[in-house]
Amino acid sequence: MIAAMQSGSPRQRCARSFAFAFAFAIVFAFGVALGVAPTAAIATADPAPSLPRLVSLNPSLTAIVERLGADEALVGIDDYSARIAPALADRPRVGGLFDPSLEAVMTLRPDRVLLVAGLEQESHGASLRRLGLAVEVFENERYEQVLSNIERIGRMVGQEARAAERIDAIRAMRAAVEHAAAGRARPRTVIVLDRSPLYLVGGETFLDELLAAVGAINLGAEVAKGYPRGSLEWLVAAAPELVLDLSPQVETEGALAFWQRWPSLPAVKSGRVLALDATRVSLPGPDLDRALRELAIAVHGESIEMAIDRALAPRSAP
Amino acid sequence: MIRLTPARLFTVVAIAAAALVAIVLGALATGPAPLSLTEVFRVLVLGEGTDGARDIVLGVRLPRVVLGVLVGAALATAGAVFQALLRNPLADPYVLGVSGGAALAGIAVLALGGVVALPTQSVPLAAFIGGIVATGLLYWVSGGRGGSGPTGLLLTGVVFNAVASAGIVFLASIAGFFEGSRIFLWLIGQLSAVEIDAAGLVGASVLLGLAVACVFARSLNLLALGDESAAELGVPVESHRRILLLATSLMVGAAVSVSGLIGFVGLIVPHALRLLIGSDHRLLVPATALCGAGFLVLSDTLARSLIDGRELPVGAVTALLGGPLFIVLLRRSQSRSRLP
Repeated sequence: MIAAMQSGSPRQRCARSFAFAFAFAIVFAFGVALGVAPTAAIATADPAPSLPRLVSLNPSLTAIVERLGADEALVGIDDYSARIAPALADRPRVGGLFDPSLEAVMTLRPDRVLLVAGLEQESHGASLRRLGLAVEVFENERYEQVLSNIERIGRMVGQEARAAERIDAIRAMRAAVEHAAAGRARPRTVIVLDRSPLYLVGGETFLDELLAAVGAINLGAEVAKGYPRGSLEWLVAAAPELVLDLSPQVETEGALAFWQRWPSLPAVKSGRVLALDATRVSLPGPDLDRALRELAIAVHGESIEMAIDRALAPRSAP
Repeated sequence: MIRLTPARLFTVVAIAAAALVAIVLGALATGPAPLSLTEVFRVLVLGEGTDGARDIVLGVRLPRVVLGVLVGAALATAGAVFQALLRNPLADPYVLGVSGGAALAGIAVLALGGVVALPTQSVPLAAFIGGIVATGLLYWVSGGRGGSGPTGLLLTGVVFNAVASAGIVFLASIAGFFEGSRIFLWLIGQLSAVEIDAAGLVGASVLLGLAVACVFARSLNLLALGDESAAELGVPVESHRRILLLATSLMVGAAVSVSGLIGFVGLIVPHALRLLIGSDHRLLVPATALCGAGFLVLSDTLARSLIDGRELPVGAVTALLGGPLFIVLLRRSQSRSRLP
């Protein structure tokens, strides 16, 4: 059989093409390897001696470090962090959320590696600990957890005051939107994280809490806790009055066109299908105040902004 | 082999068709939304009913049932055809690497679409094109002097699938969080009402594949005996094999483009039917198409209604249902006639 495959000339041509394809794949793979390795090896300028060397493996943690003005401390980040924080695109990369390269992390000689509890990240944490690195695990599912992450990272990079300022601003915004939304209609809402497959914001998540704060009912909490994969039929039957579509690369017009396939949806009938930028709203990072404001506007319309600013005014007055 | 008479053909096909219709109606009446049978009946038969009921029955359930019928028929028939052509009972619709090509192209758009600004709606089209390219490659490999026998084709498929899965792993590892979850579902296989936009293209490819398999069913019977025997009995082995390969591959590429890689349908359905009705492909091909459609629609109905408000990937259901069933049939077949 093998002899037969090698003898005929078409067979040989085929074998040559496969050989060529393999050679190309190998060269390509090395190219990728070489393209990555030097970036990891040549660590950027060392952070100031007072700052710890940090490697962040999660975009929300990266965003907190950056927002507290300590981005110099980040000597390495994951690919996803780099995508949502373009200012850090020049930092050495250590791989994806689920498959960071332990070698790349080691090469950067970090004082601490920041990652998020759950997912597969914790097993990487265990491997890194075995290699003698200090690993900091953060939980970021709930609202209070995100605030305590800001405080903890603030301590870590010596920016306690900025962290406290950030936390106060978020708490003040939450109080302001709760005040402004009081007495307004509470629309039955679904937050769609991705359409196909359909992923929803479920209960016991910070987005569920933010939605409650801005005066909306999160229907996704009926489905499950966390971020469940939802059923389209459930969504149509649940008849949301507002659909907030956070799918990647989606504009409001496209979102409305998509959901119009099911014209019985009250949200479609009243045109209340909105696309929101996921990186601004659904990141459990340092800007929950911005997320609260944008969600409040999405739920109640721009008119609520004045009420929010009024509620904020006495606090921010000098 | 029991002699095939028109009456036997009619009886088997009629029973399989009736079962399919019953499963389809059951699927349209089942789901997490609390709709009564009367409401479903009003929407389907009388064309009335509330807007909400219409959206659920016609906008959510019907598209999935239609896709389930097309994809299930395609995968099961392709399994039966490949098992006969390659004279290998373990051959499935994915054996020749066509699915690998389709999946690689589809996943490339999923993983890199964000980078080059391709909308996710272009995934099925890319996958379809990937399937056609892989089919073209297969045609080229199976051509040439003397053509390649079943073993040559199998090896080509193994190599092609290995290269494609390496490409998929590479793409998956550079994809972001959401792309990663989409790729994961693609690899397990799922039906989504949204993909109904591509139903025309898929339907045409599947009908063509089914028609070719039915027309060449007699050749399949003889090819399953071996190339020499088939040639002696007057079958132009190479040309018939190539026509069957191409039409079937096109059908598989089309199915994969909307559903991802749903496993076990192409393996379990033809084998179960061989045990029940024998291996005459003139009967086996239409029965397999109908039963494959019914099996996938049934599995998908379970996938979308087992847990309220949530979805399971149908590929996991077909494997969970099909795996144990396959083992039981295999055990039984050991004490009966050999598989083809």
